[in-house]
Amino acid sequence: MEPIKNATVYIVDDDSGVRDALAWLLRSRRLTSETFASAEAFELRVCGAFEVRSPSCVLLDVRMAALSGLAMFEKLIACGLLPTLPVIFLTGHADVPTAVDAVKRGAFDFFEKPFSDNALVDRIEQAIGHSAAALARRSEAFSLKAQLGGLTERERDVMRLVVEGLPNKLVADQLEISVRTVEVHRARVFDKMGVRSAVELANLLRNL
Amino acid sequence: MKFPRLAGINRDSRRGSLWVLLMVLVLTLLGILVWLAGRYEASLVQSRLERNAVETVTDIRSGLTRNIQAFQALHAREPAPDAWRGSAGELLREHREILRLEWRNEALQTLAYAETPHRTPVFERLERGSVQADLNLTCTAARRLSGAAYSSSYFAPQPGGLGLEVMDMCLPVVMAGRLTGYTVATYSLQDILGELVGKQLVRGITLSFTEADGTRLALMGVPSRGSRIFVAQQLLDLPGNTLVVRMDSRQGAPGLFPNVLTALVTAMSLALLAVLFLLARDMRRRLKVEHDLGEALAFRKAMENSLLTGLRARDLQGRITYVNPAFCKMVGLQPEDLLDHRFPSPYWPPELASVYQQRQETRLSGNQSPRASHESVFMRQDGTRFPVLIMEAPLINAVGKHTGWMSAILDVSEQRRSEEISRASQDRLQASARLAMVGEMASLLSHELNQPLAAISSYATGSLNLLQGEIEAAGASAAACTMNPPAEGATAPALFDDLQLAMRRIAEQAERAGKVIKSVHDFVRRRERVREPVAPQSLLDAVMPLVNLQSRKLGLQVVTEVDAACPPVLCDRTMVEQVLLNLSRNGMQAMQGPDETSDAGPAAGQRGNVLTLRIRQAATDAQSRWVEFAVIDRGEGISPEAAKQLFTPFFTTREEGMGLGLSLCRTVIEQHGGFLGYETAPPQGTIFTFTLPVARACMAGAITREDLQESSHGTD
Repeated sequence: MEPIKNATVYIVDDDSGVRDALAWLLRSRRLTSETFASAEAFELRVCGAFEVRSPSCVLLDVRMAALSGLAMFEKLIACGLLPTLPVIFLTGHADVPTAVDAVKRGAFDFFEKPFSDNALVDRIEQAIGHSAAALARRSEAFSLKAQLGGLTERERDVMRLVVEGLPNKLVADQLEISVRTVEVHRARVFDKMGVRSAVELANLLRNL
Repeated sequence: MKFPRLAGINRDSRRGSLWVLLMVLVLTLLGILVWLAGRYEASLVQSRLERNAVETVTDIRSGLTRNIQAFQALHAREPAPDAWRGSAGELLREHREILRLEWRNEALQTLAYAETPHRTPVFERLERGSVQADLNLTCTAARRLSGAAYSSSYFAPQPGGLGLEVMDMCLPVVMAGRLTGYTVATYSLQDILGELVGKQLVRGITLSFTEADGTRLALMGVPSRGSRIFVAQQLLDLPGNTLVVRMDSRQGAPGLFPNVLTALVTAMSLALLAVLFLLARDMRRRLKVEHDLGEALAFRKAMENSLLTGLRARDLQGRITYVNPAFCKMVGLQPEDLLDHRFPSPYWPPELASVYQQRQETRLSGNQSPRASHESVFMRQDGTRFPVLIMEAPLINAVGKHTGWMSAILDVSEQRRSEEISRASQDRLQASARLAMVGEMASLLSHELNQPLAAISSYATGSLNLLQGEIEAAGASAAACTMNPPAEGATAPALFDDLQLAMRRIAEQAERAGKVIKSVHDFVRRRERVREPVAPQSLLDAVMPLVNLQSRKLGLQVVTEVDAACPPVLCDRTMVEQVLLNLSRNGMQAMQGPDETSDAGPAAGQRGNVLTLRIRQAATDAQSRWVEFAVIDRGEGISPEAAKQLFTPFFTTREEGMGLGLSLCRTVIEQHGGFLGYETAPPQGTIFTFTLPVARACMAGAITREDLQESSHGTD
């Protein structure tokens, strides 16, 4: 599997041995990683003005002194980072139920230590893939919004009716304008939104 | 004693009537005594009077006899009338009782006569001849008797309206065996009394002659008046006449206390009455005291009967002298079976009897001072043994003599049983604590070993990855540069292969070690996968006895605040109880402090003594609901350095601690999907909180091992 460019893996574990070993392992698979010795440090890094720009994922140890991995997970959910920043829990046996519960609540996966390492890395790559997809969805949504923003008032009215599947004549009747004007608006909307048909436009808007 | 009041009244009235009877008897006795004394007195007077009367009669008779002799002497020789007259006159002078003397011949013709010189002649108003017939009769009788004869008395009027009762005596004069005449003497009855009776006899006495029918003929002395006159009558039997001498005692009215005897008797009777009165008063007092004593006794009896404590008294020889109902009930025996019983007592277990016997003998011999209290084992009648607590005190009687021992006996079997139960529950909790600790040890070990193993594994895999990359690069370069000596190209891949193998082995061995740990861990944790819905309150109830036990020991107070609306939580109750207990103990030990000599100063001084256990519903979101348990102490709080290591296994602030408590608690709570944390309580102290998931009715949230495996495999 081809590594995704600019991907970052955040490793949060209070055990430096595990942390460094994981970083080294990921480097051996050409993955960039960033390590944090505690959940607090990670929180400082990601919560606030942070925005996920490149595909990334988090390796979160469940059991840490003070703020636990679980609490950190709650905070990530609260910050709204979850879809673009998938979380993989690392756990000792004692924490397995906790981790399972976390998965049910939206964590990407969990691994029991000691883990089968390349499987972990594969899973990390999948997570990064998810993250990339989420980022793509997000940027698509962004561009769509930008394109929609470029439409005039009248063009948006026309688009709404066209997407509902009305023929040009009925659209003209409803908006009390001439069919010709509708055709002009419609062509301009298609042009601005980068689509060639009403079906394509409808699909695009459904994703929004 | 069914109607004590009624009985009391009956008894009182009976006692009263007895007293009345006694008084009546005593008074009667007194009356009789006085009366008898009076009677005795009277009879004494009477008998003296009788005696006097007899003597009087004797006096009169002898006087009359002497007179007869004197008369006979007048005629001793043939007197001449003149000579007779002279000697008769002389005789009359000497004897005032004789009023007239006549010398008469056989035909009763007066030859000579002489009148008494002491009074006027008797027969001035009464003709002498008027009584001739009587005189004839008398003289005839005298002649027949050949001695003196007396006529019946008759009244001789005297000048001046007076009169005399007189009596004639006729004495035949016999000269040489031949009756020659008669001497006739006229006696005054009154003067007979006056002259012939001894003066000492008539002192204080009225002496009189009466006829048989009581007609008074002559009187001597003053007739006495008074209610009681003693009278004695004596017959004076004279030839031809019979007179009654009557004596009336003038001292005859006896007083109420006629003499010393009666007075003495009366005085003694009065004294007796006084003594009786005093006795009665004493008796009344005694009765009152007796009544009070009875009341007190009844009160004490009721007290003894109502006691739950057994009471037993023994004398110095060890005989049981008293037992109360509680004691009888305790040992299941009747008082009769116990009283007067000597060693061995029936409630001694046979196997211990010899020990007890020895103990009692030591005590009785006085070698051992009485213990304030000691424990022993008694046996009920059915043979069951039960522990008792005995308190003994010496019995000292009213005069201060030591007479035995009084023992109070408490049946402590109930107490023992509850102690056993609490010990058993403590043992159970401790056992599960030990088990939990083993589990925790395994968990800790696995976690602590898993970390380095994970690192080893990662490094090995990383190395393998790098080697793989190098091998590919080497292969590519070897293919590109064919001019390189083949030997070199062959050695490098061989080295890589060896390294790769070694790296793979390292990864495999690390994984194997991890599996070993996992299997040990799973073995220990096998039983812990039990989850059941448990009411939070019942968790608290299970640990409260033990918490209270310790809090009492440390002098602390425990407060519980339970939100009644808390739903049941899904948990392994033994483990969660252990967590609650651990946190509570930590809290109490935090308030107790390391020791009293602590130099913490104000902090130590301000330390509170209230431990609060609080259960309430925690913040809830759509996916899950939680119940929050909090243990709040008022101790010194947690120092920053301690806080860093708080959950680190084998970290402890206490000397005797293992340092597993908090990490164990956290493991348990995290296994339940909950969270254990702490914060500082506002004024001072620490709040430890943990959360447990609410048991959902459908049990959808229940996590089983199968779930776990599935999800693990599913994501692998």
